[in-house]
Amino acid sequence: MTLVNKILILGAGQSAVYAASEIRKHDTESIIKIFNEENYLPYERPPLSKDFLLNEKKEDDFLFFSKDFYEEKRIELINSKIMSVDFKNKFVFTNDNLKFSYDKLLIATGSINRQLKFDEVIDSNILYLRDIKDAKKIKEKISKVNKVAIIGGGFIGLEIASSLNQQNKSVNIIEISNQLMGRMIPPQIANLVQAEHEKNGNMLFLNNKIKNIKKINDNYKITLDNNVFIDAEIIIVGVGSLPATELFNNSDLKIENGILTNEYCETSIKDIYAAGDVSNFYHPLYKKNIRLESYQHAQNQGISAGKNIVGIQSEYRSIPWMWSNQFNFNLQVTGICDDYEDIIVRGKSIVDGIIYFFLKKEKIYGACGLGLIGKIGKDIKITSKLIEMNISIDKNILSNEEQNLKLLLKNK
Amino acid sequence: MSEDNWVEVAKADSIEMEDLIRFDHGDKTFCVYRIEDGYFATDGMCTHEDVHLEDGLVMDDEIECPMHQGIFNIKSGEALSPPACEDLKTYPVKVENDLVYINIS
Repeated sequence: MTLVNKILILGAGQSAVYAASEIRKHDTESIIKIFNEENYLPYERPPLSKDFLLNEKKEDDFLFFSKDFYEEKRIELINSKIMSVDFKNKFVFTNDNLKFSYDKLLIATGSINRQLKFDEVIDSNILYLRDIKDAKKIKEKISKVNKVAIIGGGFIGLEIASSLNQQNKSVNIIEISNQLMGRMIPPQIANLVQAEHEKNGNMLFLNNKIKNIKKINDNYKITLDNNVFIDAEIIIVGVGSLPATELFNNSDLKIENGILTNEYCETSIKDIYAAGDVSNFYHPLYKKNIRLESYQHAQNQGISAGKNIVGIQSEYRSIPWMWSNQFNFNLQVTGICDDYEDIIVRGKSIVDGIIYFFLKKEKIYGACGLGLIGKIGKDIKITSKLIEMNISIDKNILSNEEQNLKLLLKNK
Repeated sequence: MSEDNWVEVAKADSIEMEDLIRFDHGDKTFCVYRIEDGYFATDGMCTHEDVHLEDGLVMDDEIECPMHQGIFNIKSGEALSPPACEDLKTYPVKVENDLVYINIS
């Protein structure tokens, strides 16, 4: 007799969809349901701050899969919001008063935007970007204005700034710390990105806190702590994300900057798995828990969770990797760039690509590069492999652009 | 496959082993590969997003997109790793008198 499991997936982002697809590859019988709060087929989020804002892509252009895929794979998309989970009796409850039982549950609820608090009027007018609805709102507002203030110099803020600059908007970026993208990106590359924004006319205010924001008619006057004023017609905030764990605050699920999972995507409760932005997972290579917010991570950990759910033990040990496109440049980072003894640079211009490697005891721990689109991806990928192989590196090959980095893979 | 559609690409030894070159013809763009098993050709653009594969990583008989790390089999065009899910179109290749040709029909 074939065992038919009921597998429920909370959330409909990258992890959720790739987990469902992976489960079906190995298990043709089980019931798979994805709970999708949004009124769209599951879609990729990266284009929202780039191609979608630039009107180069429409919403149908960045779906993970077509409607037919879900029908063919018998993956049911349920357009409901989860209100609570009863881990003891294995039920989830939705906003439309439905109750679903499960055998295995994957939590892939992603993350939520960190919010800023000013006053009621300002809070109800500032814009955030998380989903298609937000992106559409920004597009609609932006079509009628010229002056934009962006609070937060992280990936999202800078990608929006780049997209709006390319639509000839006047963009001011306010960042509380002394460098852009400080959480993930080393200062060497952040400075190059900053120079590109400035060269294209964006104004950057680093090391600045906001003292207050006043709404005057349809405009905003932002006062910084050094008493500099910035005028804006709209304000967009991108100040980071928090794991979407609110549903489980009063449960037995262990949460600590996200849902704690082991290297097999298993949470502290049996038959409950977590993947993607929401999970704070144990990384066997770095020997510590880390939480990542990236496309590749969400996809690959979703796939790994899918395998583990169907009983194929799959240790998740992907090397962290993420990218950003701003103007016509592509930035990529792999591994961890804040724990090193030595820095090696490869390349001289961002036109051909520059990569900084961060090493400890002759081994690469992380690398970050910037170049015209396509110029650094290959070397960053080779670097990811080298990090994973955990081998000592000939630094002369790393720093010499004439030498193919693939040589290092062969010399293992 | 029409005999008229063979187009000269490059000298055979101008493509390094386990590498590729970009080849543009008319309004189309291709990648022509040299691997252990010989010479092969595919469409130039990744099927996931419009990124050229010329800067991608060739390892054995696979090409990996430099943007989002989708992987394709060079010989069959098969999409092997997400986010790529649509196969790459492949083209016949021949080597004559040390010149590489592809059939673009």
